[in-house]
Amino acid sequence: MTSTAQRDVRQRVRGPGKHVLLIVLSALTLFPLVLTVSTALKTSQDVKVNPFGLFSSFSTENIVTAWTEGSFGDYVLNSFLLAVPSTLLVVVLSTMGGYAFARLPFPGRSMAFYLVVVGLLVPFFTYMIPLYFQLRSMGLLDSLLGVNLVLASTGLSFGTFFMRAFFSDLPTELEQAARIDGASEWQIFRRVMLPLASSGAGALAVFTFLQNWNNLLVPLLYLPGGDYRPLTTGLYLFLGGRSIDIGPLAAGTLITILPVIVLFLVMQKQLTQGLLSGAVKG
Amino acid sequence: MSAPAPTTGLVPVPMPVSAPAAARRRRRWRAIQSDAPRVTRRAQSRLGIMLVAPLMLMVTVFLLVPIANAVYYVFVDFNGINPSPPWIGFSNFTELAQDDKVWAAFKNNVIWIVIGTIAPLAVGLLIAMLVWNVQRGNVWYRLAFFIPYVLPQVAVGVVWGWIYEPSRGWLNRALELVGLDVITTGWLGNPDTALYAVLGTAIWVASAFVFIIFLSALRNVDLDLLDASRLDGANAAQRLRYIILPQIMPVFLMVTTITLVGGFSVFDIIFVMTGGGPAGATEVLGTYAYSSAFQLNRISYGTTLAMLITVLAIPFAIWLNRLQRRLSLQGTGA
Repeated sequence: MTSTAQRDVRQRVRGPGKHVLLIVLSALTLFPLVLTVSTALKTSQDVKVNPFGLFSSFSTENIVTAWTEGSFGDYVLNSFLLAVPSTLLVVVLSTMGGYAFARLPFPGRSMAFYLVVVGLLVPFFTYMIPLYFQLRSMGLLDSLLGVNLVLASTGLSFGTFFMRAFFSDLPTELEQAARIDGASEWQIFRRVMLPLASSGAGALAVFTFLQNWNNLLVPLLYLPGGDYRPLTTGLYLFLGGRSIDIGPLAAGTLITILPVIVLFLVMQKQLTQGLLSGAVKG
Repeated sequence: MSAPAPTTGLVPVPMPVSAPAAARRRRRWRAIQSDAPRVTRRAQSRLGIMLVAPLMLMVTVFLLVPIANAVYYVFVDFNGINPSPPWIGFSNFTELAQDDKVWAAFKNNVIWIVIGTIAPLAVGLLIAMLVWNVQRGNVWYRLAFFIPYVLPQVAVGVVWGWIYEPSRGWLNRALELVGLDVITTGWLGNPDTALYAVLGTAIWVASAFVFIIFLSALRNVDLDLLDASRLDGANAAQRLRYIILPQIMPVFLMVTTITLVGGFSVFDIIFVMTGGGPAGATEVLGTYAYSSAFQLNRISYGTTLAMLITVLAIPFAIWLNRLQRRLSLQGTGA
């Protein structure tokens, strides 16, 4: 696809009408976000009479209420405690496993890979109930460790699949050159292949972090005591308990989505790459 | 991506994709090459086993064992307390087949799958085609249309709940504004509309996913071919049908698979917005399995329901995957 050919086609496209349509459509798409910001930043008086009128007053009192009384301050910290270690675990194990499945012949390799891929075919809630009782008997309910391990395991199948595809696409010449130079298999992995895989691992990290940050069911089920409650679960329970308090609820919603939006804006490229290679790349 | 994207609702789960023919050929060649010295091969297999060992341990403990337990639960009557539950064979299945609620939930799943697959495909493809050859503001549009997909479903559910609110919600106010007062209602509280209201929210999310995938697939469309067809007098619909669609077919099928399989296992968005209500109007197999197990303590029955969903979804996943592989072998693929 040459750039001149592309420009030719583009120049022929009628400009203004299409832009008007796209701007209207994107405004509609973003409307729920605008509504969240608007309601979160109202005075409590205004929320009572006119909760959904756009930007009719300004105050940070809802944010303060949600952060302190609603414990969303704690939830933010807990969300990080649940999403960061589990993401690291997924990236490390998937990179190791993906490399082995792509490049290192060992007995039972395809069988092992099929077992990993089972996780892509079986939805989480098929086994969420037995997993609850299993964690209970392992003493891992209500623990940071338990939820991190479960969150990681929900991402491992995709992660391994993704990293295997990534390593398979790397050229073999480098590896052979290193081998001729006398590098051990471990050195080839550590010094030659790992640096090449960093962009893939980065994409996987962003993607997995978002998944784990957004996960509602895992912390809801496996932290029944309420310790380490993250934003998603906190927001869900807040919604059930005090649905009349629209102001703090909006503020809590804003606090929950803000980190996601920031991460999305900063890492948009990596995220899209992860998404595309995972779903579509043949 | 699906990425196994959040495994929730319409949010798609990534499915294994077939390798394109070229990559497969490359891999076969590599296999032939690897009549490397025996020392190398032994070193490779030792490192391979070392590298997969922690992964296999995690997968076994937190995936395979619970799945095996789920299969066991299906054939016993487990209430969560009794350590050695009685074996009841296929009773859970016979009960399931006679349970009206299962059939009602199944019907809702089917509605969800049909509308929740077709609508995002249409909306996402349409927007992708609009954004595709726009030069100015391309980045902005891409962000704006993609963002619904990355948000946590709980937050999405909260905000859409306000939009659907009966007296002050924006949907009803907008309808009043254009004189459609007759159809205003409490969208989530009315059993006739609740399922479609939640579906509307899910379409908002899934379209974002479809959009971003199609947008990148469209970049691979041969523009010279498109120009040629234009010169030959093909109209927009013909260009879509005969030039663009065939070139993005593998991607099209992939996205269809992902949204379709996601439709079987939809859970989060319904759980958050209506919890299956009102009066079971939005109950799907996923929410029914959840409430059976965790609210009624019918652990085995809930697991059987969840198993049913898996069993229903897997053939579709495999079938469409095969289809896609065949297409990419024919060289239609990217």
